Amino acid sequence: MLPKFAGVTAGTKDEALSWLSSLKNPKIIAGGTDLMVKMRAGKQYSHIIDVAGISELLGVTEADGRISIGSATTHARLSSDGFIVRNARSLALACGLVGSPQIRNMGTIGGNLANASPAADSIPPLLIHDAVLTLEARDARRKVPLEEVIVAPYVTSIDGKELITSIEIGPLRGYREGYRRVAKRATWAISRLGVAFAIREENDRFLDVKLAIGSCTPMPFRAKKVEDLLKGAPKNKATISEAIRMALEEIKLISGIRPSYAYKLPVLQGILAEVLRG
Amino acid sequence: MFIGQDITRVDALDKVLGTAAFAHDLRKDGMLFARVVRSSRPHAVIKRIDVSAARALDGVVKILSHEDIPGENLFGAIRKDQPFLAAGRVRCKGEAILVVVAATEEVAQRASDLVRIEYEDLENISDPFLSIQSPVLIHDGGNLLSHRKVIKGDAAKGFEASDLIVENTYSTTWIDHAYMETEAGLGYLDDRGRVVVASSTQNIHYKMKEISRLLAIAPEEIRVIQATTGGGFGGKLDVTVEGYLALAVWHTKRPVFMRYTREESLLVQTKRHPLYIVYKTGARKDGSLTAVEVNIVGDTGPYNSYGETVCLRAAVHATGPYEVPNVLVNSRVYYTNNPVAGAMRGFGVPQLALAHESQLDEIAEKIGMDPLDIRMKNALKRGSLTATSQVLNHSAGLLETLKAVEPFWRERRKEGPGSGFGLGCMYYGIGNTGISNPSSCYLTLTPEGRVEMHSGVCDIGQGSDTALLQILCDALGMEEMGIDLVRGDTDTSYDAGSTSASRQTYISGMAVCDAAQKLKKYLKEQGYYEGKSLKDIYRAAADSGIPIFDGHFDPPTTAPDPETSQGAPYATYGFATHMTEVDVDEVTGVCKAVRVHAAHDVGRAINVSNVRGQIYGGVAMGVGLALMEEFIPGKSESFDNYYLPTSMDMPEVEAIIVEDREPTGPFGAKGVGEPALIPQAAAIVNAIYDATGVRMRRLPCDIERLKLALEKNQEENKR
Repeated sequence: MLPKFAGVTAGTKDEALSWLSSLKNPKIIAGGTDLMVKMRAGKQYSHIIDVAGISELLGVTEADGRISIGSATTHARLSSDGFIVRNARSLALACGLVGSPQIRNMGTIGGNLANASPAADSIPPLLIHDAVLTLEARDARRKVPLEEVIVAPYVTSIDGKELITSIEIGPLRGYREGYRRVAKRATWAISRLGVAFAIREENDRFLDVKLAIGSCTPMPFRAKKVEDLLKGAPKNKATISEAIRMALEEIKLISGIRPSYAYKLPVLQGILAEVLRG
Repeated sequence: MFIGQDITRVDALDKVLGTAAFAHDLRKDGMLFARVVRSSRPHAVIKRIDVSAARALDGVVKILSHEDIPGENLFGAIRKDQPFLAAGRVRCKGEAILVVVAATEEVAQRASDLVRIEYEDLENISDPFLSIQSPVLIHDGGNLLSHRKVIKGDAAKGFEASDLIVENTYSTTWIDHAYMETEAGLGYLDDRGRVVVASSTQNIHYKMKEISRLLAIAPEEIRVIQATTGGGFGGKLDVTVEGYLALAVWHTKRPVFMRYTREESLLVQTKRHPLYIVYKTGARKDGSLTAVEVNIVGDTGPYNSYGETVCLRAAVHATGPYEVPNVLVNSRVYYTNNPVAGAMRGFGVPQLALAHESQLDEIAEKIGMDPLDIRMKNALKRGSLTATSQVLNHSAGLLETLKAVEPFWRERRKEGPGSGFGLGCMYYGIGNTGISNPSSCYLTLTPEGRVEMHSGVCDIGQGSDTALLQILCDALGMEEMGIDLVRGDTDTSYDAGSTSASRQTYISGMAVCDAAQKLKKYLKEQGYYEGKSLKDIYRAAADSGIPIFDGHFDPPTTAPDPETSQGAPYATYGFATHMTEVDVDEVTGVCKAVRVHAAHDVGRAINVSNVRGQIYGGVAMGVGLALMEEFIPGKSESFDNYYLPTSMDMPEVEAIIVEDREPTGPFGAKGVGEPALIPQAAAIVNAIYDATGVRMRRLPCDIERLKLALEKNQEENKR
């Protein structure tokens, strides 16, 4: 049973922002695929502001070589959007693996980020695309890199009066890009491990590698040290082994040793080997 | 002819249109809502219950405890050992303590949350091996619920005569039934003041008797109706909401509705028994089995439910469907403070299939024999002696199921590095084990010129209503289905026994045949087969009273010998062979069941689509049992963290129907409900071995267990 709350439907972004600033204990809802579960478990809000129908928050646009994704765009849309498939393939793949078809039809990219789960499938791909969030309040607007938005598992630096309005990413062209994930069953499962990668290579040499790992550390992270190591390095067994060693090292540095690593680290090792070998 | 045809199910239209009234859909004007207050402790003495805050809540009508029970506070299908409402002591988490009845479901819930209970914890016996040693007794009689033995020949001599012996330990865990519809029902008083309960159930007459004991009123004063039921698999055999509803109605004199949330259902409903199996097999170099010795330890939780049944059934099926001259089985089931384990599709046999099928593959490999050949060599067939020395006089089509799968087996080809194939065989006694388990029904005629079948069989979605109608039509030689079905109501039907043990097609089908014979004789005398219409027959007979034609069947069985379990515990057995192809990703530990060939000897398929449906569903459950389903007490709270297979995890299934007709069954039919599941997990585990060289002896073989086993195997190979 859900706790009592009042629901308001915002028709425009400004309306949503004005509700957000004036109500006492409001919460944004888009798809509700995370929020409803939390509320059913007892989480209380005075008002639920529905932003799912606000046209300013929907869709994918391109300007000045950057891609802007409306925060209320669904996973289903992103998984099949031709532009995303061509320019951010890992994101399309990851969004296509979120939950079930029903969840993908309801759940939104903005909601996935605001929820900030360590296992959120959309985050590793957004990290390798250097995503920047636009956060708006009634009389303020700021742009924050995704890495700075998520501060702890399920905790963000987004103010209660702020709304994620869009997510800006850079396209990756000429990269071999993808998303690999492992889950306890074929679909409708939380990822046990997620790896987003984009690799540009030439003549047996890595030119540029972007790598982000989810479901492994308290927050999905961009493996920058590994990326630096691989930049310009010859594509051979030794490089790949060293890259994997470094990635595992980095994980242990972030979160120490966890019981789940008995499974996760060997699997990550295997996946990274496959991904880097191509 | 209706038998063997794909007759559209009689319940199909209502279900497709959404008009079928499931238990969750039941409503009555002015109805109240009930919620159960449950124990938060696994084992404790209740020191104090404070309901003052709950009672003060607006809308709360009654809060009932064990002291409000007018009759007996104990129920149980096998033994009356489980309280409806805890009387001073709780023996597992989720045990019912109070029933709150309120004007709305929300108030009932809020009031339940306001009840304060003080406990004094007792030792939590969380494991059957602890239970064996613990001085703490869960029940006065001790912690051993049941010990059954199967002794045939001389196992020690059998091992001496063997060329090789294989011994291993296997274990399984709790599995939830996970029916689509959680437990629910509506209780009310009828015009005559009788207590009526309509619920989602697998057995109406049993529940009528339990309510009768609970309220200390005659069974005739109680009416139990089966609402359209969204699945059972054994979980709705025990009393669920029915007792609380009856008690609430008895006290309030008003209609009362209740339904379990999914979380509640997961917490409190019975589970498949975790079994620990030490299995020793002896064989000769030619592959023939010389002896089997099995030690089974089961965790039944704090109450019997069907624990004794599982104990015995696991024991008598322990050898699998093979001729084994020397058998020694010790099967023991212990009380613990874990979830109550009860009936769950197969009563212990799927767990044993994991063991006997893995053992057989291991022997085959050691002597260089093909897994199919070793099964054919040892297969039970007509004239064989089972582990209980029962002579299989009748239908015994295991070899035919092996032959049906043989072409696919011989032509199998590994697609890639993770590809593997496995076989699993099983046999399963149809009906209850070595005890009387009759079914009755009756037939009559209606003024509209139709036959009316009164059936107490609970169709829980498997299709028994349709199958029984098909049997009746053919038994009467009707050309059209001119039958009205009156079903699932203790007021209008005889006791058909529970929908369990794969028994309804076989046993109730025979009861229908019995009644049909009597009606047919009558119709013959009345000239029906010479063209006289049923309407005319009815009219002519109306003055003297339309006769009622009773049907009855109780399968011929013998009680197992108390020391050796020797005897004929079942009148007939189902047989099956599954062949499963898997694809294992060694990097991630993900195992995908790719393709299944499932051949089942069902005696005779009354409704081919229904039989196939059972096989598809059985395979799905087998995939869950093998690869992911695991109820972890205290952790598995919802389907968020209890993983069931989805359609994406389903292999392609080819269902192959083998019909070795059973002379004692209706038109040769046996049962298929549980057999459909039993060999699948074993076939998957054998396929994983074929793919990876790793033997998974503990279920589920989920991605983490499989990956760790693969890692370990790799390291051992390096050395």
